[in-house]
Amino acid sequence: MDKKMTKQSVTNLIKNNLIVVGITILIIVASIIEPKFLTVGNFENIIRQFGVLIFVALGMTFIIMGGFIDLSVSGIISLVVVVTVTLVDPIGQVAAIIVGITIGLACGLLNSFLILTSGALTLAESLFITYGLGLVYAALALMYTKGVTQFLTYAKTPITIFKTVGTGSVGPISVAFIIFLACLLILYIIESRTHIGRSIVLMGENIVASRLTGIPITRTVVFIYAISGVMTAIGAIVLISRVNLASPVIGGAIGGGYETQAILAVVVGGTALLGGRGSVLWTVIGTLVLILMNNSLNLMGVSTYIQYMLRGAILILAIWLDSQRQFSEGN
Amino acid sequence: MITKITENLAKIWFLPKAFLAVLAIFGAMLFFDTPFYTPYNLIDLLNSNSIYLILAMGQTIVLVAGGVDLAIGGTMTVSGIIAILLINSGVPIPVAVAVSILFGAVIGVINAYISVYQKSEPFIVTLGMGVLLTGVAQQLTDAHPISCTNPNFVNLSNYKLFGQVPVLIIVMIVVVLVMYWILRSTSFGRNSYAIGGDYEVAKYSGIPVRRLKSLTYVISGMTAALGGVMLSSWVNSGNSIYGSITALYVVSALVVGGTSVAGGIGGAIKSVIGIMVLGLLTNAFNMLNLDSSVPYLTQGLQGLIIVFIIWLDSYGRKRKRETV
Repeated sequence: MDKKMTKQSVTNLIKNNLIVVGITILIIVASIIEPKFLTVGNFENIIRQFGVLIFVALGMTFIIMGGFIDLSVSGIISLVVVVTVTLVDPIGQVAAIIVGITIGLACGLLNSFLILTSGALTLAESLFITYGLGLVYAALALMYTKGVTQFLTYAKTPITIFKTVGTGSVGPISVAFIIFLACLLILYIIESRTHIGRSIVLMGENIVASRLTGIPITRTVVFIYAISGVMTAIGAIVLISRVNLASPVIGGAIGGGYETQAILAVVVGGTALLGGRGSVLWTVIGTLVLILMNNSLNLMGVSTYIQYMLRGAILILAIWLDSQRQFSEGN
Repeated sequence: MITKITENLAKIWFLPKAFLAVLAIFGAMLFFDTPFYTPYNLIDLLNSNSIYLILAMGQTIVLVAGGVDLAIGGTMTVSGIIAILLINSGVPIPVAVAVSILFGAVIGVINAYISVYQKSEPFIVTLGMGVLLTGVAQQLTDAHPISCTNPNFVNLSNYKLFGQVPVLIIVMIVVVLVMYWILRSTSFGRNSYAIGGDYEVAKYSGIPVRRLKSLTYVISGMTAALGGVMLSSWVNSGNSIYGSITALYVVSALVVGGTSVAGGIGGAIKSVIGIMVLGLLTNAFNMLNLDSSVPYLTQGLQGLIIVFIIWLDSYGRKRKRETV
């Protein structure tokens, strides 16, 4: 490989990952200005923040790769959280967690069922169906608890699993991080080694053409929403373990809670919004970069309001660059 | 005779589902002993949905032209806050209102530039703009509610004309009529349908597609800003959390009314019906005191109805695709 080639590929790398490069520069600046950034305590903090968002974002990756979107994740989080916590006393912690994950799966299946039966094939249609369902899930969580926050710490039966996930660690690595690694490994194998993983990318590329070439669209759509539901439920259980309580509005407003952050993480990682290109590994980078950005801005004393603005601006910038890339590939 | 009746029944079934829902709610409320059919409640029903209706008119033309504007919630919040801040610092009310609406237009221009000229996915671009504007609103108010010190500002929305009707309703009706006229009777309105129906065909027919589609975003920004100013005046307060759910609520209501998110289909009256279905539901459920027996039932039913009607809408398109 001659020198010119290397130079060109480096330029391409920077060009294709402008946001990651920009935020990396920010992080370097932060570590120079604020020496606290490069401490062990801070990195533990960052790995803890990794928690809920990364699980939701991993699930969202497959959905976006397939050319759809899921705005119901906030509602799913709220519902799973309240049901799991209230069930810990009557049926024990293991059964409660299983029920929680089953609810996530059921929500995902319901999403895909309505999308498939209505024949919604575009991002826009799936956006509004999942938005409406998100409202329903959030309302169910409120109706179930009558709006009252439930506390895990008042449980009379043992809550050892939650305690382990929340604060436990194996050596230097926290248990939540190990759960994350396991999920990532499974999803990565699905994505790169299985038939259905290839189907997701092809469906995102061109749904009509993939149907005509015999790719099982129905099965693939059900699969991506089921995965998203389950990953969201796992995220919700990690969340309970960390905060030890269940508020029926913990997921945030539908369309403004975890889903915007998850979409941001996926798109900043480089997964194409309209499907056809992406990877769960990129999402991990995207999430990490966002959390590092928040962390370095916090350490530099930038107000949360400005961080909020930056989040919106980066989302816009990411989509803009993504469309530029698709535009130049098309030519 | 019988075929005629079935034909007419079939015609009723093919009316927009949302219109049937409005009729059903009005009919059902006859059977309950509630203060639903009082002039006070009916005016309140219109009044409390006026802000949504003003925002919906701008959104309608964006959807018709094949775009979408999810930044209206943020635009509404920030322009309401700008109006209050300007008036509090001594700027005359008309100037402050004008500046706020200009701000909405500027946001519309930015949205249009990124989504039309740079061909980015409008859903996420405008969603991001909404997040950004929420941050701006928090920065301007320090995340606290603010209120206007000039007592005349409240009259902008609340002054009662003809004894009972607040100005807010009059402004809403004017905005609806203007949008109805634009969509029905101007070349800009007709061209918007062409652009939303098929962008490429419209382009090769000589319609200045990019300029007109951009104009729809500017109009949407301006109606959102007008809505924000009227909201601030109505409740005499500006708060960074007001717009957090507005955009998706309005767009869902429009889709419920029969406007297509795929572009090319929609209208001012359809949008009014869509907003009124959701507004009527909330009002009727409140009148029936449903939430006191099962808390938060209203929100759940609202979500279900959005899902159901959007499902029907998509299903109708699927049937059409298959028959073609």
